[in-house]
Amino acid sequence: MKLLKCLSLVILFLSAGTSYAQDQNNGNEREPGHTNNNRFKQLYEEFSTPNQYRSASGAPGPNYYQQRADYEMNIELDDENKRIYGAEIITYTNNSPDPLEYLWVQLDQNVRAKDSKSPLIEPSGAAPADAAGSFVQQHMGAAFDGGFNIQEVKNEKGDDLPHTINRTMMRIEMPQPLLTGEQFKFSIKWWYNIPNHTIDRARSGYEEFKDGNRGYVIAQFYPRMAVYNDVEGWQNSQFWGRDEFALPFGNFEVNITTPADHVLDATGTLQNRKKIFSKEMMNRYEEAKESYEKPVVIVTQEEAEAASKGFSKDKITWKFIAQNVRDYAFASSRRYIWDMMAVKQNNGNDVMAVSMYPPEGNPLWEEYSTKAVASTLKSYSRMTFDYPYPKAISVHAKNQGMEYPMICWNYGRPDEDGNYSERTKYGMISVIIHEVGHNYFPMIVNSDERQWTWMDEGLNTFVQYVAEQDFGEWYPDAIAPNTKYPSRRGPAKNIVNYMAGDQDYIAPIMTKGLNTYSFGSNAYGKPATALNILRETVMGRELFDYAFKVYANRWKFKHPTPEDFFRTMEDASAVDLDWYWRAWFYSTEYTDIGVKDVKRFYVTSKMNQQVRDMMEARGMQESDLPPLVYMVEEGSDDYEESMKNASLDDVTTLQEYIMDNLSSEERKNLKKPNYFYEIVYEKPGGIPMPIIAEYTYSDGSTERVKYPAQIWRKNDKEVGKVIASDKEITKIVVDPDEETADIDTENNSWPKRKKLGDFDKFKNKVEE
Amino acid sequence: MKYLKIAILAIVFPLMTAYAPAHKFYVSTTNMEYVPKKKSVQIITKIFIDDIEKVLQKRYDPSISIATIKEKEKDIEYLKKYILQKLKVTINGKPAKLDYIGREYDIDIVNIYIEISGVNDLSSIAVKNEVLLDLYKEQQNIIHIKTPDMRRSFILDSHNLKDMLNFN
Repeated sequence: MKLLKCLSLVILFLSAGTSYAQDQNNGNEREPGHTNNNRFKQLYEEFSTPNQYRSASGAPGPNYYQQRADYEMNIELDDENKRIYGAEIITYTNNSPDPLEYLWVQLDQNVRAKDSKSPLIEPSGAAPADAAGSFVQQHMGAAFDGGFNIQEVKNEKGDDLPHTINRTMMRIEMPQPLLTGEQFKFSIKWWYNIPNHTIDRARSGYEEFKDGNRGYVIAQFYPRMAVYNDVEGWQNSQFWGRDEFALPFGNFEVNITTPADHVLDATGTLQNRKKIFSKEMMNRYEEAKESYEKPVVIVTQEEAEAASKGFSKDKITWKFIAQNVRDYAFASSRRYIWDMMAVKQNNGNDVMAVSMYPPEGNPLWEEYSTKAVASTLKSYSRMTFDYPYPKAISVHAKNQGMEYPMICWNYGRPDEDGNYSERTKYGMISVIIHEVGHNYFPMIVNSDERQWTWMDEGLNTFVQYVAEQDFGEWYPDAIAPNTKYPSRRGPAKNIVNYMAGDQDYIAPIMTKGLNTYSFGSNAYGKPATALNILRETVMGRELFDYAFKVYANRWKFKHPTPEDFFRTMEDASAVDLDWYWRAWFYSTEYTDIGVKDVKRFYVTSKMNQQVRDMMEARGMQESDLPPLVYMVEEGSDDYEESMKNASLDDVTTLQEYIMDNLSSEERKNLKKPNYFYEIVYEKPGGIPMPIIAEYTYSDGSTERVKYPAQIWRKNDKEVGKVIASDKEITKIVVDPDEETADIDTENNSWPKRKKLGDFDKFKNKVEE
Repeated sequence: MKYLKIAILAIVFPLMTAYAPAHKFYVSTTNMEYVPKKKSVQIITKIFIDDIEKVLQKRYDPSISIATIKEKEKDIEYLKKYILQKLKVTINGKPAKLDYIGREYDIDIVNIYIEISGVNDLSSIAVKNEVLLDLYKEQQNIIHIKTPDMRRSFILDSHNLKDMLNFN
């Protein structure tokens, strides 16, 4: 009998639900069916199928392979003519299961060749005014004569190899296909005119100082092997100037010849230090290797300024060896100051944190650069793995922010009197943290930048945020009077403006960088923020940090794809995140969650009209039902003023149940809630995020409840929640700490609060 | 389908910070909101400090310094002069008077507050924004307009200096 009663109750309410749904169907028209459009749908359609190369767990598969390219290079920097001359021998190893008929080599300098197509894809219009230099460059045919001049491509025996240059790519045909496990050795000879990077905003080039000396920050200076892998075949998508690079790992033996009065640092370990360094420099260097607190100057400002007065006709050759790097870069000038300090890694190894900068960078650079490098290495190593290279160099180059293995170029320059603003200082520290951080992503966790900018920029900007906050904690004097480092990217509320913007100018994160509108927000800001929110709000630091570390370690010195990241984060945490990737990475949806309605209810044993109607409609009797506790909404027909003061003790059905079923001990522990609320949360935004609700009670106490995002799985627009409390609720705030990037907070409070806009706030302040 | 009418409060377009990308983007953002209750169009223009400083130095005086300890009152007078020269608004077909309220700094960005008062009724608004186009021909000036009933955005640049919205 009891079973039957329960069953009839189920039928009563089930059918009630159904009839409600049918009511919504207003009329005769039958709705068409649909495919699965649930926001929590698995990502099977977006993800490629796991295979022997890439496992479903997100780890490299049992047959994962990667190609290898080893380089021997002789380079000469001609300071007088601003040219690079180079000769290289590349040893290419085919570890793939495929025979290769040809090789693709990247000629990135050709983006600045006279016949470059890069300017042709940029729409242009007549400007009301144009800088004279730019006008001449564009309209008067005095274009910079950039790009590689390839002089020869030869095989090991010295025979010319057939090759075809297609803009920034060169195909080299081999005499016979290169089979699995085989190596092919070939040589290339070239030269090119070094661009002035302060004019054409290139990722490498020279800057001319007022005294006529030049600071060279040199990269993409040699023909570089393209990546061949299991997902793209040859990565031969052209370099248009924005989407960066995809490069295989290898060892580099590089000899760089410069004027004898230059100071140079580069990727790798200097082999002939004793020959090149003066005795004084050598002593300082030995001292720096033991200095863990502050940098030791190897070349002082006075020495740099003295050297700047000459121009040596003699030459020196710097010999470097770099192991397991994907790229090579160097910086050289007679005007560089040079300092270094040691950083202890968790595994006991020391790494050198190094800075090179012209006097123009001081007093800012001597104070903060090497400190920022050291701080970055500590933070990133904690989040990923011990830094595997011997050094990390930060070179000061005007307006630059660009990364290479072990070396990067950074901006941040005081004015001519040596004054600098807070903005310049934070800009400089942030860019150093960012570019040094790129050693981890993508120099070591070697994702394909040409296809997926966010995989290195987004992940790196996320860790940059963590590292900036560390820096503020470790160097409180450096950020005073701030108590927290003022990070531009990372905090959820900083991405709101972008995500709330015009949809015509927003692309999903999973878009090739070249084709996005707001590149900085799309590839840097949004993914960094998405990861920060994932860490702080969705997963929690413990689960996130473990999984993130697993990803970094799995793909260290390998080539991950987006799915390898997505899969690993889920695999290592047991948090299903398909919905999160779909919303944040595959769409331009945004977060907007609010309180729609709050209703108060009273409890009674008297049947209410709603249940009576349902019962009649189903032809049921009251005796068919088990004893019920009825909820009456304040202000409804069944509502009586007397209910306000009633207590649960007055509800007969409830008391009977308690007396019959619970022991006196159990009865003592029962809560006695007298306040019942039905709260309806709404979600005008597309992203299903957890509802973070803060309830404030009449006694002033607050309580926070986080309803997981899955609360939206069956109703994407609104959900109700019943709260039983022994205290009256006076206020409800959704996302009180602004941690979900909610783009509209007007609906986040009950009772509704009208927030003062930014304009009025400022105006009030000014008028005070 | 009211919930589909998405209420977006803040419609500030992202400003590209120069932290990370190797190449800086030349963008300013101007938010304009018509508040009928106050008969006012409230304008907040966001510009990179180093850009605005550079253009003021080139136009007026190389010693101009913005958001540093060297900033002087006259530097802000130049800022005000420049912005009021470069930002022109036409309301209901008539040129509007822009009142400069003030400015504040947010790390590397200056927010400039401007108000147009006495707007009893808004039937059309035209905006011309040439800020920084005298310095960078790639400069894009993004305008967001919000009224109680609608919101619209457009991008002004060297080949599209002016745009207009009609509400009737």
